[in-house]
Amino acid sequence: MTTEPISLLQQTLTEFGVILFGVTAVSAGSLLYFRRVRMERPPIGTFNGRDIVILLVFISALPFLYGTLPNWLITCLLVLTFTSSLFIGYRPVLGATRAWLGIGLLIGLNFWTSRYLMGTTAGWQLWWAELSILVGLGSIAVANLYVQGGMRLQHVAWFALALAAYDIVFATILPLTDKLVAGYLAHPLDPLLGMRFGVDNYGVGLGDLLIYSMFLVAAYKAYGPQAARLAFGLIVVVGACVSAFIPFLINFLDTELDLLVPSQAFFGPAAFLCYLWLKRRYGRERTMAEYRAGAGITPRSTATTQPAPAPEPASV
Amino acid sequence: MFETGVRQFRMAMGMVWGRRLDARNIGRLVDDVLATLAEFGEPGTGADEQQLLGGPLAEPAAQREFAVRGLRHTARRLAVRSPFYARRFAAADVQPGRLDMAGLGAIPVTTKQDLIERPGDFLCTDAAVYLTTRTTGTTGRPAEVWLSRYEMELWPALGALGSVLRQDLGPGDIMQVNVSSRATAANHLAAASCRLAKSGCRLLGMVSPDDALDSLAEGGATVLFTYPSYLAELVIAARRRGMSPADFKLRRVTLGGEVLSPSLAQAARQMLGVTQVEDSYSMTEVIPVTGRTCSQSHLHIDLSTGHTELLDLQTGEPAAPGALGTVVITPYFPYRDCMPVFRYDTRDIARRLPDEALACEVSGIPAMSQILGKAGSLLHLGPADVITPRQLIDAIEALPTAPWPARYRATAHGGRIQLTLPAAAITGYGEAAARAHFAESGLDVDLAIVSDDLAASLRHTRSDLREITFATPHALVEA
Repeated sequence: MTTEPISLLQQTLTEFGVILFGVTAVSAGSLLYFRRVRMERPPIGTFNGRDIVILLVFISALPFLYGTLPNWLITCLLVLTFTSSLFIGYRPVLGATRAWLGIGLLIGLNFWTSRYLMGTTAGWQLWWAELSILVGLGSIAVANLYVQGGMRLQHVAWFALALAAYDIVFATILPLTDKLVAGYLAHPLDPLLGMRFGVDNYGVGLGDLLIYSMFLVAAYKAYGPQAARLAFGLIVVVGACVSAFIPFLINFLDTELDLLVPSQAFFGPAAFLCYLWLKRRYGRERTMAEYRAGAGITPRSTATTQPAPAPEPASV
Repeated sequence: MFETGVRQFRMAMGMVWGRRLDARNIGRLVDDVLATLAEFGEPGTGADEQQLLGGPLAEPAAQREFAVRGLRHTARRLAVRSPFYARRFAAADVQPGRLDMAGLGAIPVTTKQDLIERPGDFLCTDAAVYLTTRTTGTTGRPAEVWLSRYEMELWPALGALGSVLRQDLGPGDIMQVNVSSRATAANHLAAASCRLAKSGCRLLGMVSPDDALDSLAEGGATVLFTYPSYLAELVIAARRRGMSPADFKLRRVTLGGEVLSPSLAQAARQMLGVTQVEDSYSMTEVIPVTGRTCSQSHLHIDLSTGHTELLDLQTGEPAAPGALGTVVITPYFPYRDCMPVFRYDTRDIARRLPDEALACEVSGIPAMSQILGKAGSLLHLGPADVITPRQLIDAIEALPTAPWPARYRATAHGGRIQLTLPAAAITGYGEAAARAHFAESGLDVDLAIVSDDLAASLRHTRSDLREITFATPHALVEA
C-alpha cells in the first residue's frame, strides 16, 4: 500500500482537528476534575509568584538538560514524572491500589507499543492513542495539582506570557525544541498528545496542554463560568485555530510546513490580555476557600458613587 | 509552595542535626501558614503541629526514640557548656552520649533551690544573656532565669507557628494580655508572637478589672491571655456592671499559671461569650515546654521541645498508674539555650492516668491528669488519703455564692480537713449547706469562717499582683 502525500490545507485541517480534540478533551477534563475531585495538598504552602519563577527556571533548563542526557535517562525522568503526577492525581479517585495498577498498565503498554508497533500506520495510531490518554491524564492531574494548590489566574497569565518568550527563543534563536521533539519522537512517554494519519504525525505538546488546562481551570476558579467560557474560547481560537493555521500561512511565504509551532508565542499574550480584562471587569480573584464556599462573582460597578458629605465642623 | 518546602526542609535538618534553628526561617513559615489559610481557609493534609515542629509520631516507640535522642543531645551540650550540669553529670557518673531512659534516674532532679542558690552555674558558656525573667514568687522566693536573644526570637516564632496552624491567632485578632508586667518573657513572647501572626497585642498588666473590662469591650480584643484568678475578678466585675456576651468580641481565652476550676471556666464562657477557655500549662523555669488540656481534662505536654516525667513523690521513680507524681521536665537543645535545666522538678502535682489508650482529640501525645496543685500544698489526711489543692478549689469555686477566686486555708487535723473560708463564701448559703456541698465533693471538712478583710491573706493568688495606674479625673479634662 502506498501513501499519497496530502495537500497543505488537508494537513492543516487535520492538525487543527487533532489540536482541537486534544485541547478540548484535556481542558474540559481538567475542569470536570476540578469541580468533582479535591486533591490532597501539603499542610503548608500555596503558589506564589516566586514559585512561577522557579518553574520557569526549571523549564528553561530542560532543553539543555534533555539535549545532553541520553534517551534512556530522559525516559527514566519521564517515568518518574508521569508516575508521580498520575498517582497524585488519581489516587483520590481510584484509591492507591487501583491507581498503581492503572499507572503500571498505561506506562507498560506505552513501552510495549513503542517497541513493537511502530512499523505500520495502525501501529503508530495505537501508540499515539495510548500515549494521548497518558499525556491527557497527566495534564489534567498536574493542572489541578497547581490550581488546587493555590495557583491563581494571575500566576497562569504571567506564566503563559513568560512561556511565550520562552517559545520564541527556543523555536527561533536557540532552536532546541524542534530538535528535541524530532529526536525523541516514538520513544516511550514522549510528552505529546496526537495522532498519525498517513505518513504525517500531528500533535500538541504536554506543556501547551498544561497551560490551556491551567488557564481554563484558574479562570473558572477565579471568576466563575462566564470567565471559563471566555478562557475556553481563547484556547480554541488562539491555542488550536491560530496554532494550526500559522504553518499554513507561513508556508505561503517560505514553502516549509515541517516546523514546530511556538503556540505559546500566540497564546501567552492573548491569555495575559484576557486576564487583565477579567481583572478589570470582576476585580479580585476568588480564593480556593471562597470558591469552595460558593462565593458569587459580581462585575464591578462602573457607576461611581458620590461619597456622603462629611459634616462641617461646628467651630474652628 | 516550593519555597515553603525548602523552609520546612531547613527546619527539619536543623532539628535532625541538633543545631540552633533559624528563627527567621520559622517566621517565614508563619507567613506561609497565613498565606495558606488566606487561600484555602484551612491547612492542608497532615497539618499536625507536633510533626510540623519536628516532633515524633504517635507511636510510643518512635516517641521514646525521639526522647532519648533529645536527652542525649541536650546532655552532651550541658556536660560541656553548663558548669552546674558538668559537675552533676560527673558526680552521677553519667555519659551523656549513652544516656537512656533507664539511666535517666541516676541524674538527680534539679530543684528551684538549685536555681536560686547558684544561678550563675546554670548559664551556658556559649550563650550570651539578653533578658531575665523571674518567677512571680507566689510559691516562695522568686527564681531568675536568663534568656538569650536566640531564645527570644525562636520561641515566639515557634509559638506563632503553632498558634496560626491551630487558627488560635491570626490577622484581625487582638490579644489582650493581663499577666504580671514582671513576667517579662510571657509579655515579650505574647507581643512577638502577635507580630509574627499579624495580630494586635495589648499588654495591659494586672490593672484593675474594670480597666481590663473596658479594654476588652471597647478595644475589641478577640483573645484574652491571663491567670484564672484574674479571670475570676473579671467575671465578677462584669457581673456587677451588668455586662453580657454582646459586650465582647472575644473568641478565645487562654489561661495558665494556676488551677482553673470547671465552675469558673463555665461562668467565663457564659459571661464572655466564648466557646474556648483553654487551660494551658507553662512555667518560667522550663520554657518553652508547654502543655494543653484536652476536652477530657487530660494535660498533654508538648513532646517536640522537651521530655516530661511524672515521678512518685516518695520514691522518685516513675509514678504508678493512678498515683500522684511531681512533673519533671527537661527542655531540649536547641529550644533552650542560655540557662537550661535538666530534669527540673516543677513540684507541680498530677496523677498518672491508667495504662489505657487515650480517646481524646490529642491522643497521640501522652497525657497525665490536669495539674492538681503544688506538692507543698497537699493535705495528708492519712497514709493513702491525700487532698489536692484542685479538689479544694473546685469545690469552693462551685459554691452557689461564686466566691472567685477561691480564698481558703486548709489544714489536716485528725484525718479531717480544717477549712477556713471568708464569710462572703457562704453568705446566704449557710455553714451546714456548705459542709454538705463539700461532702458531696468527697471532702469531709470542719469549717472556720473569718472576716472578708482577711480573705486575701488566706491564700495568695496571682490576681493579687495588682498594678496601679494614675486615674484621669474627668473634671480635669473638661476644665
